[in-house]
Amino acid sequence: MPMPQKMGRGDEMGRGPYEKSGIINDTGLPPGKTVEEHFEIPFYTEDVTDDNDRVIERKLMDNTLELNVKLWYLPYGNKQSDPFIWQEYTQTITVSE
Amino acid sequence: MKKTKNTLMAFLACIAAFVLIATSAFAAGVGKDGTIVAKKGKATTIAELVAMYDSTGCIDCHEDTHDEWANSAHARSVYGTGRTAATMKTALENGVLSWAYSGAESPEDVEVEHLMGCAKCHLPQLADATDAVAKEFIADIYALMDAYRNDDEEKFDDMKDTLLSLNINCLVCHNRMAITHKWTDGYPQDGTVYGSSDGEHEDEAYPHTKVSPIMSESIFCGQCHGLGPNFELDNPTQCATAYGSYLWAYTAEGGTETCQECHMEKSGLGHDMQSYRSKVMSDAAVDFEVEAYGAKWRDGRLVTPKAIVKVKMTNRTGHAIPDG
Repeated sequence: MPMPQKMGRGDEMGRGPYEKSGIINDTGLPPGKTVEEHFEIPFYTEDVTDDNDRVIERKLMDNTLELNVKLWYLPYGNKQSDPFIWQEYTQTITVSE
Repeated sequence: MKKTKNTLMAFLACIAAFVLIATSAFAAGVGKDGTIVAKKGKATTIAELVAMYDSTGCIDCHEDTHDEWANSAHARSVYGTGRTAATMKTALENGVLSWAYSGAESPEDVEVEHLMGCAKCHLPQLADATDAVAKEFIADIYALMDAYRNDDEEKFDDMKDTLLSLNINCLVCHNRMAITHKWTDGYPQDGTVYGSSDGEHEDEAYPHTKVSPIMSESIFCGQCHGLGPNFELDNPTQCATAYGSYLWAYTAEGGTETCQECHMEKSGLGHDMQSYRSKVMSDAAVDFEVEAYGAKWRDGRLVTPKAIVKVKMTNRTGHAIPDG
């Protein structure tokens, strides 16, 4: 998402077209380039502790995880105003019990 | 002495005559007097402005093209989904009316120049209207917003229809905006539709067709779809930046396709030019690959199970996504 510069000066972002002049930062997708993102999502576990409150075991509560990856476009910068899901991917991930 | 005086006067008269001839023959903008606005005169009401660029005569022979266009954002460039008109009101209040040196303190003070930050692209033909039209335009947007707040459906629909009558239609693109380099290619002339061929045109008001040298070039779209700040304005605005990105991040990296090739031809959408809200465009725009698997991280004797997720996104368009 482009972060337009307010009145072409300083570190503040401008919102309306009447304020925007320049770009401070851009997290959008540049043309012809591949952007990679890496995520690590923990499975649901519960820790077992001994008498000294020391974690001695991490118990896996469910060895499946429903993964849902969404590429959002948020024209107004939040999910309340006209959000758009560009792409979506789902998969069930498992680990050994 | 008298002879010298007469000679001097004759010399000055010659210079004056030369300046006059030079001015009329070589004034900047040869053919500028043949444009639609030059022939019809500046519009003094919204109705006159709509009539000046009335394209309804095109429908008889180009119905399919018209129907494609009617579904595009170009057909509602001022009203949008309602948000565009609302943003123009915000731009006026938070911008023009709040700035110390704009010369406008209330909506009644607004002139055409105050609105060109938005109108440059959303309604370029506003430049062919008097300040009375700028005031009427702003009054209509206020009336629309008031009617919405007061649940006055009739007034709201009336104002909505007025704002929808102002758009980027056939004549705006195929005449007014059809030539960028006017000193090279000439000014777009009243009575002529600019496209892909020279010849006769079966239309009483527009009996000629002429080639627009840029109609299939990206620069044509770039007139509105933006380089960044519009420095030609006394207070620059910035809305679209797609054309800047196209030039410096796409063609500079070897890209060769034009806006029209992707948005009109390959998409199959023709004059229904769309962006991400059209599935055919959003699907073609981004390759989205996800690789995911489970793995167990071990820290001492503690095992932490995780999903490892790798996402690859490749922008296949000719500009950054998103734009703005």
